[in-house]
Order: sequence, then C-alpha cells, then structure tokens
Amino acid sequence: MEDHAERIVKEATKQGAQDAVAEVVVDRNHQIRFAQNQPVIVNRWRKQIASVFLAHDKRVVVGEITNFAKIPVTIAKLIKVAKASQPNPEFVGIAKGPFNYGRAAVDPGILALEGGGDYVQAAIDGALEEGAKETAGSFWRYDEEHFLNTSNGVSAQDRRVGLYLSIRALVSLESSGHGVSCATKVSQFHPESAGHKAGRIAALAKKPRGGTPGKYDIVFDPLIFGSLIDQVGNRASAYAVAAGLSPYGDKLGKPVASPVVTLYDDGSADTLGRRRFDQEGVPTKKTAIVQKGVLKTYLHNTSTAKKFKTRTTANAGLISPEPHALGAAPGDWTRDELFREVKDGLWLTNTWYTRYQSYVTGDFSTIPRDGIFRIRKGEIAEAWKDIRLTDNLINVWKSVKALSKTREQVTWWGEVSVATMAPYALAQQIGITKSAM
Amino acid sequence: MTEQDLAEFAVDHARKKGAAYAEARYEQQSSETFVLKNGILDALAYGDDEGIGVRVLAGGPLGFAATNIMTKGEVRAAVEDAVGSAKGTKRKDPISFAPEPAVVANWSVAERTKLADVPVEDKVEEVRHIERELLDRKYKMPARFFIFTNMWITKFFANSEGSRIRSYSPRVRMYYYLTLMKGNDAEQCYRNYGWSGGWEAVKEWGALDKVLGEARTCQNALDHGVKSPEGRMDVVVGPPVSGIMAHESCGHPTEADRVLGREASQAGKSFITPESIGTKVGSGVVNVVDDPTVEHAIAFYLYDDEGVRARRRYLYKNGVITEFLHNRETAAALGTRSNGAARATNYDREPIPRMANTFVEPGEWSPEEMIEGVKRGVYMKTYMEWNIDDKRFNGKYVGREAYLIENGEVKGPVRRPVIELTTPMVWGSVDACGKDLDLMEAGFCGKSDPGQALDATLGGPTMRLRNVLLR
Repeated sequence: MEDHAERIVKEATKQGAQDAVAEVVVDRNHQIRFAQNQPVIVNRWRKQIASVFLAHDKRVVVGEITNFAKIPVTIAKLIKVAKASQPNPEFVGIAKGPFNYGRAAVDPGILALEGGGDYVQAAIDGALEEGAKETAGSFWRYDEEHFLNTSNGVSAQDRRVGLYLSIRALVSLESSGHGVSCATKVSQFHPESAGHKAGRIAALAKKPRGGTPGKYDIVFDPLIFGSLIDQVGNRASAYAVAAGLSPYGDKLGKPVASPVVTLYDDGSADTLGRRRFDQEGVPTKKTAIVQKGVLKTYLHNTSTAKKFKTRTTANAGLISPEPHALGAAPGDWTRDELFREVKDGLWLTNTWYTRYQSYVTGDFSTIPRDGIFRIRKGEIAEAWKDIRLTDNLINVWKSVKALSKTREQVTWWGEVSVATMAPYALAQQIGITKSAM
Repeated sequence: MTEQDLAEFAVDHARKKGAAYAEARYEQQSSETFVLKNGILDALAYGDDEGIGVRVLAGGPLGFAATNIMTKGEVRAAVEDAVGSAKGTKRKDPISFAPEPAVVANWSVAERTKLADVPVEDKVEEVRHIERELLDRKYKMPARFFIFTNMWITKFFANSEGSRIRSYSPRVRMYYYLTLMKGNDAEQCYRNYGWSGGWEAVKEWGALDKVLGEARTCQNALDHGVKSPEGRMDVVVGPPVSGIMAHESCGHPTEADRVLGREASQAGKSFITPESIGTKVGSGVVNVVDDPTVEHAIAFYLYDDEGVRARRRYLYKNGVITEFLHNRETAAALGTRSNGAARATNYDREPIPRMANTFVEPGEWSPEEMIEGVKRGVYMKTYMEWNIDDKRFNGKYVGREAYLIENGEVKGPVRRPVIELTTPMVWGSVDACGKDLDLMEAGFCGKSDPGQALDATLGGPTMRLRNVLLR
C-alpha cells in the first residue's frame, strides 16, 4: 500500500502536478450492532481506497482510486480536469517534509480480536443488572492502516486501532440512559461499565414529568459536554469561519468562554482520535483553541494558516481543516462538589440534534435525551422529559462556572464526532424551552 | 470477472457455505463535486467508488461484509466473513425476512441533457453566474458558500431467490449558505435543491431566481424585520416547512426499525408503537405519503435495495397512522410484507427502512386562499433552525423568511417565529393543504451506525395550521 501511495504521487508529478498527496487507507473494521438485548447484524469491511489531492497551477482537484491498476488513467483524468478548472488563489501549497513522527505502538490484543460478542453481552448484562428492560447499541473494533505520500517529501504510515462500545438502556420509552467505552488497549476497555452507567441513568429516570421552561444552572455529564466541545472544535476550523459557518469570526484574542475553560485539539494523545500525522503529513500535536476563556487560534492546514498569517496547527483536511481529538482541560472540582453547588437546576446526560438559527451569531438549540434530572440542593429531586436547550453557543461557554478533575473519553454518533476528553461541567442560567402540548 | 459475475459468485458461494438466504449488491458511485466559497473555486472533487456488499441469513443475526477489491478471492473472503459472522454470533430468535417474489428488472432514470455531456467548466460557470448576480445586488454578504454535486449510481442486485436487478440513477444537487449582515445583525439562509435526472435540473430548479430571492428576503428581514408576534394564532407554512414537518414528524416515526427499537441507540425510537396503526394523529385533511416513484425527485427509485418493487406509502391518511416504512426484516417481525423502503447509502452499508420522497399530499387551496382566511397570524415560508427529539414527538421549526398576516393580507417581515409543538399538535392543527406541491427541496437524511446520510425530498405544499402557539 505504501507503494501505491508513492506511485500515485510520482504519477501525478510526472503528469505535471506541482503538489500531490496520496493517502491509502486499508480498512479492516468490524462491528456488532445490537437491539432488544441481542445482536442484529455483524458488519465486516475489507476495503482499500486512495484519496488523491493534486494541484496544477493552483487548480486544486481531489479524487479517489480503488482500482490501483488504473492509477495512470485516473491521474490523467484528474490532471485534465485540473487544467480546465480555475485557480484557487488561497491555495499556497502543502507542508514541506520530511517530518519525524512519534512512535505508533498498537495493542496486539486488539489486532488479534476476532469477535466481540462477549463485550456486547457484558454491556447488555451491566445495563439489565441496573434495572433496564431494553438495550441497543454497537460494538466496534477499529483497525485501519494509513499510508501517506506527498510531493513535498512525506512518506509515512500509521495504524489506528481501537475498541468502542455505545449502549443505550431503556426502562421505558421515556426512561433511558446512555453509556460509552472508548479504548486503544484491551485493558482499558470496559463495556460493562458503559452498560451499568446507561442502566443506572435509565433506572433513575423512571416516571419523568414534563419539564418547565426557564433559565437553569446545569450539570453536564461528559457525553453532553463532549457535544458542546465538539461544536467549538468544528466551528473553530478556519474553513468554517471563512464559510460563515462559525460564531468565531473576528474573535481571535477575545473571550469566547469563561476563564475556567481551556479547550484543545490533540491528535497526538492516546485516544481513539490518535493519528501520527494530518493529511499533509504534518505531525499532530496539542493545540489550545480556547485558553482560559480566550480564543487562541482556529484550526489550520497550510493554506488556511497562510491566509490567517499563522502556522498550520496540523489539522489538514486538505480542503478543510478538521479537529482530530478534542478535550477540555480538567478543573479542580469533584463531581459531587459540582452537584452540591446547584441549589435549583438540572443534570443533563446526553443530547442530540444540535442545529443553528445562525452560525455567525451562534444561536442554537439541542435536544437533551436520556436521563434529564431536576436537582434541588445538590440532590436529584425528580426526572424530567421533553425539554430543549435553547441558547447561544458563546453564551453557554461563558456561563461555565466549574469543571471536574476527572474526565472521560467520549465519542458518539454524530454529536461527539471525534474522540473527546470531557469532564463534568457546571454552567449557570442556561435557557430551557419545551414544546407546547 | 465482471461485477455481475462476482455478485452471482457471491450469492452461490454464500449458499454453499450454509447461508439460508444470500444477496449481493454491486454498486458504483461516480461523483463530480465542487465548492465555490466566497467566489473561489476551492476544489473539484471526483469520487469513483465501487464494491460489493454481501448480506446473509444463517440462523442468527444478519451477517454483512463488503469489499471494494473486485477480485474473486476478495469477494470469496467477504462472503466467508458474512456467513461466518452470522453463524458464529448467538441470537435467541433468528432474524428472518418477509417473503418476496423473485424479480428480474432493469430500470434507469432519463436525462434530458446528460450530465456527462456538460463540461464541468459549464457547471462551475452556472454557479459563478449566480454568484456574480448576487454580488451585483450590493448586499453586505461576507460569506457565500455553494456546493454543487452530480452523481451517477449504477447497481446490480442478485439474491438467492432469483432476483436480478440492474439500475442506473443520475442525481444532481446544489446547496448553499448565504450570510448577510447589517451592522452586527446577521441573517443566514440555507437551501438545498435536488433532482434525479440530467443537467435540466438547473432550469427546473430556477436556481438563479431562487438564490436571488433568498438573498433579497434576508436583506428585507435585516432592513424591515420586526420581532415575530407570540401567542396563539394561525400559521401558514411554505413547502420547505411542510416538507421538514412531514419528514421529521411523520416519516421518521413510521420507520418500522425505529418502532421495533433497532435504531434505539442512535437515531432513536418512536412515539408510535406496533399497535398504533389506526390511531388518529392529525386532522382529517392530513395525508402524508412517502413515494419513491415520483419522477425526478431526488430519491426516485423503482426497486429498493432488497429487490422489492417501490410504491407510494400512505403513512398518515386522513389524519390516521396507516402504514410503516418496511424492509423485509421489519416486515417479518411485524407479520406483514415489505413496502420497498430498504435503502443503503452504498455497497458497504446494510439496507434499512428509509424515507425517499416524503410529503404532505396536496389539497385544493392556493396559498392566497389560505392566507385570506387568517385574521392575525404568520406566514412562515422557510426555516433555518429545526430539531426534534428521538421519539419524534417534540419538534421545533424556526422561521427564516416569514411575514405577519393581518386580516387576510401579508404584511411586513417578522423574524424568527418559533413553532415548538408536539407531533399531534402540529398535525391536529392543520385545516388546509395547498395545491402548490414543490418537491425540489432536498436534504440529507441521517440514520444507522455506521452513519448513512441518504438523499431525501423535503418539499411539499403550503399548509395552514390553526390556533397554534407561536414563540
């Protein structure tokens, strides 16, 4: 596969491309989906695909190759298209390599894993033991090999492996909880704990009553806080800013969160988002996006960095920079202290369907799902249902008062799109609305 | 071996390995996409993906494996992965499929002007022209973001029951975000147009006029928009709004896999249960259908990804829940027959119950007649923010282009009217449906794990809601 990446780049430069990148990915992932407490489908993939990027006189073309016997023909087609295209004045080239990369040891226990049914059963049993009646979710064993070659001296490879389990537990349609387990080593993988957490929340959420709109202090569980971190990470892409899909335009150096908040991207950390290099081959690193509440940088590739007069943050995406793995720096509170701080508020455990009325102002809403709890004097008073968090992204982040010392690695189906290290968080006076019945 | 040979081999080999049922789906998706961001052509993107997905029943859960390495050896390995997974994973009640006759068919979508005959330079120029016209209006418009894509989808389906189906489906889509500013005030719009067919799509959409109209109404809202009134009143909603309501508050909750809990951990469940058929959920004028056979709608097809003939499905009829969206798996679980709703995004995903073109059936009213009957209310033509809970009961739709209605007349623009209602409240308040059916609105419908974002029509007719709470 390394050869294929090199052949593609050589062919592209031979045919006239000034810049070329090829990334060949070999996908050997497998997955078990389960519902109603038993497996419904086992999915396995045997795929290999090359993503190709080339620039000819600043005319940028991307493509893909799955049949490596057709490399010269496909490159010729892409070059022909590039010649007929129009220059992109914002494209300034790709990063100059070669680079040195950190070690990339993978757990042989994950590579050797064939099934995963025992993990699924452990998660289901954990939830049922807590009182859940129904569970659903998925188990993943990730195994991807990446081979990158560029016309600027990069030749690199990476193997990205991991285990993931996501489980939703239900006592009834309106009493549910969610748990996840993420690991890059078998020894760190605890699907039973995810099951227990999901089941525990579901059992606590029995007989919820309709919530009351208003402003509330809210304790965010790591899963929903991960979703809010995800919003910042993706809106902080320089591409999103330029496209008008971000509230962070013209806010560099300005406060966008409370001073207790530091948010970062770190593709080099040992999470499910770990990678040795970005799509230009630049070694990944930790980048503070928000430091002590102040917006420090957008996420960049070489071209967007040039436009914003800074350096790449190693987040290429050749067209659009993207976060690899996000995190919030931990605070100095315990989880119990956060709850005790709430005299009259809510504990939210998960959310979905985050949508904006205006990306540039950050006005949005999102729908808490799974356990929603009223907290009075630091204790859970009752379970709620049918509410919506309706507020402004920057306002929510400025309202964060405290973060827990402990964090959990979370990622979940679209809402937390990359692996994220998320603490518990307390935010004050957040808007809650609900549907008219 | 040709792709057809490989698919036939996959089915035969799966049966030899012990599968009670096997299917192989070859799919090739070629695409041409470009992004025009603030007048700059960021990139041209060419996709060329092909492969085979194999799905089997073997006395337990479903087994599925996919490969894009088109050799007999790799297909054999994929088949053995699928059969081995299905046999090797325990399940108390084995998954079964509802019966279907074998079908041999070949269908395709006509292109009046073949997409392949239009040079990409002309396609880029079409959007550049729109961009230039926008700039001529001299609005303060710091961000303009267009994505244009056309796709050619070729499929060959074979199963162990004798079905053999070929298909060819070209599709075109354009979507865009515009950001207009006045001081620190901003108005954003997002629209998405889709078409199954050829380059004639651009004319059919009336893309230039629509984009210019969007920008004009954004500017009008910035210049003259006032806060939307609150309280109980009548609301007339335009085709994009009735379309998203049909999609979120009818299409999704009637997906049988949600009803059965198969999607519980991701896209969620449904307030509808298997026993809900025959339950009233809206007024007598509400008929919501899902129809893959609407010619040139973005999600047009004649046979689904399990080889089942497509047809119009009445999800809500006269305000009553009448039918779920089924694939063969959910149909068997509920003791019925598939209605041809099984779709997958590509060869490497399992086919599950999906919406195609979901819309409120048109009525006899013109938009003007509906507005004439409103003493005080709001005309919400389009929306921006929307969402709904995972049981599909609590929906929210925030207006983008909206106007006050007084004594049957449309007055000035109002900003951000919020409809935040339960599903029965939405459908129970409808008293009139327009004859102005518009199915050009398209969207991406998300579901499943791994995610499957599929083409879906989000249009419909204008529709009137009586006495609903507006915020």
